[in-house]
Amino acid sequence: MINQDNRRQINVKGIRDGLLITLGNAAYDDMLQDLTAELTQKQAFLQGSRVVIEAGKRPFSATQLARVQEQFTRHDLELWAVLAEREETRAAARKLGLATRLPGSQTDLDGNALPASSHKSAADAATAVPVHGGLLLKETVRSGRSIYHEGHIVIIGDVNPGAEIVAGGDVVVWGRLRGLVHAWALGDETAVICALALNPTHLRIADQIAIPPDDNNGNPAPEQAMIREGQIIALPWQPRN
Amino acid sequence: MSGKVITITSGKGGVGKTTLTANIAAALARSGKKVVAIDADIGLRNLDVVMGLENRIVYDLVDIIEGRCRLRQAMIKDKRQPELYLIPAAQTRDKMAVSPTDMILVCDQLRQEMDYVVIDSPAGIERGFRNAIAPADQVLIVTNPEVSAVRDADRIIGLIEAEEKGPGKLIVNRLKPEMVARGDMISVEDILDILAIELVGVIPEDESILISTNQGLPVVMTGANGSSAGQAFTNVARRIEGQKIPFLDLTAKGSLLDRMRGWVNGR
Ligand SMILES: Nc1ncnc2c1ncn2[C@@H]1O[C@H](COP(=O)(O)OP(=O)(O)OP(=O)(O)O)[C@@H](O)[C@H]1O
Ligand SMILES: [Mg+2]
Repeated sequence: MINQDNRRQINVKGIRDGLLITLGNAAYDDMLQDLTAELTQKQAFLQGSRVVIEAGKRPFSATQLARVQEQFTRHDLELWAVLAEREETRAAARKLGLATRLPGSQTDLDGNALPASSHKSAADAATAVPVHGGLLLKETVRSGRSIYHEGHIVIIGDVNPGAEIVAGGDVVVWGRLRGLVHAWALGDETAVICALALNPTHLRIADQIAIPPDDNNGNPAPEQAMIREGQIIALPWQPRN
Repeated sequence: MSGKVITITSGKGGVGKTTLTANIAAALARSGKKVVAIDADIGLRNLDVVMGLENRIVYDLVDIIEGRCRLRQAMIKDKRQPELYLIPAAQTRDKMAVSPTDMILVCDQLRQEMDYVVIDSPAGIERGFRNAIAPADQVLIVTNPEVSAVRDADRIIGLIEAEEKGPGKLIVNRLKPEMVARGDMISVEDILDILAIELVGVIPEDESILISTNQGLPVVMTGANGSSAGQAFTNVARRIEGQKIPFLDLTAKGSLLDRMRGWVNGR
């Protein structure tokens, strides 16, 4: 195929805030073509994710960036931030209403540090994206799917083993939670994770990680997980009157 | 005539797709339907072996797609059934020789002459899987009662939904009722609890499958009524045809499957 080498320069990686896509340094038109091919090929896997572009030293005009953004939209992805070393690129991103730094996060899901440019930009004019809004999904979230959202996430349906939910805010599952959930991924410890049946592979709230005991499959009951005294605990939901 | 395209797929390999394709195709043909089975596992063909038609292959799916033969020429007629055909996979090519569009075009032609096109998909989530589901009107997902197979089935069901080929229907293969009763194997109920899709078949573990596979004679053709798997395959075919067939009582007491029926129908 054409541009095999450039194609490999387009690198897609899961991070806490969604996907981090590195564009490499092929010529703009080739890059756009390779990106489109990559997104088309992986559409089923990437679909619905929020995307951060790592532009590095590559310059982008607002028009060029808009065309890139259009490719993401067409593939059902949401571009929300551009990390760039050049001020002109950051200005172009802001013009399109995109963030130019990640809120607080300096590592990806595996705990690896993000590329330097993403966290040395503290002096940037753009401010961190605050937790706002929410994402409501009415479906079963199946194995292999990752749902990322900077705000709260509400799922009406089950979250199956092998699925992953990462929220900037709280997570509510109106169904059985058996996958992995990370709430307040960016650090606030007042978060909650609620589910009608709480049997996750593991939970994370802020920087705390909990693996639930095996014995709670008996009779599933609504529970709420939160941090108390530095530890994640789960409490049965109790109606108050 | 507009035939129906049914694709049989799985996340994990070796769960019984090829066995099911051969038997469901044969069972549909036995009930008087015109059926063609397609082996979409390019490079790893074996549906021809399981159907006992290996030594009659002249042309294959890739020959059709690349224009080296007409569709009819690559359709091997199974002489034991009135209207059962096989389009074999190419053994010397790889999955990139076929595209999803090719599959759609071939199936659109077949639909005009056949009642059913049954496609044996390769396992996994790659190109071969995409080729196999692209033309499907109905996708059947096969799993075994094992945690890893169920996990992979869940993944595949999600991808099928993403490709707007859902909702798929489920076949649980190689169930051992005694093991379930002892609590050593996950039950159909547990599987449905996770996958939450409609069940169209539960096939027991059955030695006669191995024997019939080696003979190239699908169990449903042997007329071996003693074989519980043979009956289960026939039931899947009848459910595909829209009949309401109760699930075989695979448990000693029957209570579990009774509950399971309620579960499925109640959805
Ligand atoms: N119900 C059953 N009872 C006993 N053996 C079975 C049953 N179903 C399948 N088998 C055996 O399991 C093996 C794998 O079956 P098969 O080749 O149909 O799986 P597959 O899903 O097509 O595999 P692949 O992913 O490699 O294409 C075969 O040896 C087959 O005879
Ligand atoms: Mg096979």
